[in-house]
Amino acid sequence: MKGSLVIAEREIPGIMRNKPTLWILLTVAVVFALTILLKWPESGVSDLTGSQARGAFRSLAMAMLTAVVLVVPAFPATSLVKEIRRRTMELLLNSPLHRYEIFFGKALAMFCFILVLLTMTLPAMTCCFAMGGISLTSDILRLYVLLIVVCLQLAVLGMLVGTWAGSPESALRWAYGCTFALVVGTLIPWQFLEGMEGPLGSIASFLRQLSPVPAMLQMVSGTTVSQVGLRDSESLMESYFLYAGLFIVIGSGVCIRRFNYSLLDRSRSQGVITDELSSGGQVARRLFFLIDPQRRKAGIPFFLNPVMVKEFRSRQFGRLHWLLRLISSCAVLSLLLTFATTMGTVDWGVERIGGIIVIAQVTLIIVLTPGIAGGLISGEREAGGWDLLRTTPLSAGRILRGKLISVVLTLLLVLCASLPGYAVIMAIKPNLREQVMQVIVCLLFSAALSLLVSATVSAFVRSTAVATTISYGLLMLLFAGTLVVWSNLDAPFSHTFVERVLSVNPMAGALSAIAASGFETFDLVPRTWWTSGILCGLLLITLQLRTWRLCQPD
Amino acid sequence: MSETAHSNVVQIENLTKHYGEFVALDSLSLTLQKGDILGFIGPNGAGKTTTIKILVGLTRPTRGVARIGGADCVSESRKVRRLIGYMPDKFGSYDNMRVREYLDFFGAAYGVPRSERRRRVAEVLEITNATWMQDRYVESLSHGMQQRIGIARTLIHQPEVLILDEPANGLDPQARIEMREILLRLADEGKTLIVTSHILPELARICDRVAIIAGGKLRALGNLKEVTAQLTQRRTFEVQCLGADHLTAIENQISRAIGDADVSASDTEGIVRFRTAASDEQLSGLLKTLITAGTDVTQFREVAGDLEEAFVTATQAATADSQTSESAGESVAADASAALEAAE
Repeated sequence: MKGSLVIAEREIPGIMRNKPTLWILLTVAVVFALTILLKWPESGVSDLTGSQARGAFRSLAMAMLTAVVLVVPAFPATSLVKEIRRRTMELLLNSPLHRYEIFFGKALAMFCFILVLLTMTLPAMTCCFAMGGISLTSDILRLYVLLIVVCLQLAVLGMLVGTWAGSPESALRWAYGCTFALVVGTLIPWQFLEGMEGPLGSIASFLRQLSPVPAMLQMVSGTTVSQVGLRDSESLMESYFLYAGLFIVIGSGVCIRRFNYSLLDRSRSQGVITDELSSGGQVARRLFFLIDPQRRKAGIPFFLNPVMVKEFRSRQFGRLHWLLRLISSCAVLSLLLTFATTMGTVDWGVERIGGIIVIAQVTLIIVLTPGIAGGLISGEREAGGWDLLRTTPLSAGRILRGKLISVVLTLLLVLCASLPGYAVIMAIKPNLREQVMQVIVCLLFSAALSLLVSATVSAFVRSTAVATTISYGLLMLLFAGTLVVWSNLDAPFSHTFVERVLSVNPMAGALSAIAASGFETFDLVPRTWWTSGILCGLLLITLQLRTWRLCQPD
Repeated sequence: MSETAHSNVVQIENLTKHYGEFVALDSLSLTLQKGDILGFIGPNGAGKTTTIKILVGLTRPTRGVARIGGADCVSESRKVRRLIGYMPDKFGSYDNMRVREYLDFFGAAYGVPRSERRRRVAEVLEITNATWMQDRYVESLSHGMQQRIGIARTLIHQPEVLILDEPANGLDPQARIEMREILLRLADEGKTLIVTSHILPELARICDRVAIIAGGKLRALGNLKEVTAQLTQRRTFEVQCLGADHLTAIENQISRAIGDADVSASDTEGIVRFRTAASDEQLSGLLKTLITAGTDVTQFREVAGDLEEAFVTATQAATADSQTSESAGESVAADASAALEAAE
């Protein structure tokens, strides 16, 4: 294992010396200080029951989990891809080091970074402990053990993604997508199928145990505080440890197995063109694809923005066959939900189904948008295409419009795919028509906000990987971070405060419009529209000015 | 504006660019006429790319004016963009785009109408011998192929001036020959070319004008012969004789007649070479002496100076200049501190 130490010695300074790491660590420290400050007793004297301390502990624990989920996946996922791209992986594989040594060296470096990250939380945790009512072993120690397991799981997940991804951006997209699916996606079925008997209920219960969130909530809630849907006798912590442990062991095995020359042997497909196939092959492709992406294209028509067409053609995801697959998936999901609505509307209520559609759709938007829009400008600058665009007669406004429209169309198609679900909701309860319309407007705002946040970040950052990470972070903060405040309603945040915070989250607006569980008491429409609209306007102005600046001579 | 100014396709006057204290470009002036191929040479950091970036409107000069086709590169940059085809040293590819789509996009970006664009794409692919790769993905092409597509892209809107930054960089010998042929063909079509390169023999073969830049200053400008003459004060001569018997005698006579000559003899070739700054009169005297002495001289000729030599001379001059200015700066600083000490 000496080789692992050699690798770790090289990796650790690489991670710790760069500026983003410094900013991440500082941000984490500041956020935790703020979290504990919010929970600090106003009189300076803590209550004897320890409920204030437990409240602070719970908030801190959730903030720590959020930080870990936002920060950890990016490093292992991109590190491996960068190593392959810089061709240093070749040198490593050619050295006498065994592949398990390379893997463990990288894992060790990640572990050291995780320890530094968690160390940043110690001052806040010390303050929390000083408030009393928190046990050092059964609370704090268990929390840190749980977080270390989560970090290890996400690090293995990131590395696993890194062995498949072709670029840092796609590694980030997939790493965050998988993380989001693991941490949040696994909870969604339980939210709606809680208490249900039969295979569906069992599947939902099993999926919930894969996420660290229920284990964390069960641990921090203690005996006095309980969460909706989490009041159960089974130890979620143990089952999470079991599944996470299995994932770490199997994932590590797969990773080590994939650490070989196949990582470097990824020749680019030359792409067979349909026009050169036999006539039978051409007919078959015409039948299979509505619009064949491999067919030789006619030129860009005069009425279309060339940048928009370029964006569609050059993006893996924008290329039409991918888009068709995505829309098909959305349509199938929507139909399934529609079916579920008609079959189970008596038990669940359309509000719950509407809630599922809203959350699923916003999740899709959050996962999808930074991946597409995070590289709109930064990707072009990184690859050297921006200077070429600047030397064409295209104006800054036209370039920006082309780029934005290419993402808007994709997002609109994604949103449209779920319209049948809403149509059925309106058919079942015609009086919900106005609410459904409000939900759709909220979803449009969610998409616009996600796009503009990602595009604006992309205009200010040179690296697509960094832009994508920052965009994911900001969107998670906006859409999930505000829900963390909502989950602390009445302890300590007042209803008014939570309502104000939620007003920046258009997804919360949609949930409130459809009167989803937990959002019935909030009146967020049209407040979220105003807030989102103003935010979108400001972002658009910033983006336009920045693009114009980038098009000017240096 | 004078008639001469109008006939100049590219006109650069006192172009200066400062990055803080660093002077990247110092009062550069040159002009190019239609159909000229200018080889723009200089060591790394000499100011070549800065000049090119100013010409294509990517960088704003601190002082001076650059015009292409009479249009100012800064204030009329949109007009200039239609007149130039720019190929940077970095290719700038897009993922998942086929060559034909890539060229079509740039054609559309330059406002070439759709019907004409299809014909232009076919033409530029033909010019660059790249028709066979029209359906390949751009990023899957080798470096040499990408360079060809880069040239094709610069031609798509039929610009008058082509500005190519290191087009032969990283190409294998065969690809270099092909690139040379493409550039010569473009010059034949009347395009004005500005080509930077480190591969000097390549430039020497294609350029009719050469500009050597070092330390931000223009060191030499003119055709190849003029530039080598400007920069190379010592000329090389060869004396060929029958057999190798007289080589030593010729070597000794050259050394006696011309004091500064570096003389060397090659037995296998039967040639004596020498480098000297001697005048033509001295050389004529030397030839008479050799013939009088009975050496069987068959040829006495001057070897044409080469670009590499001129480049090295210019670079050395730039280094000497910077050292002089540094030492002058140091002595000024020393004088100033001495004066301050005296005042105190």
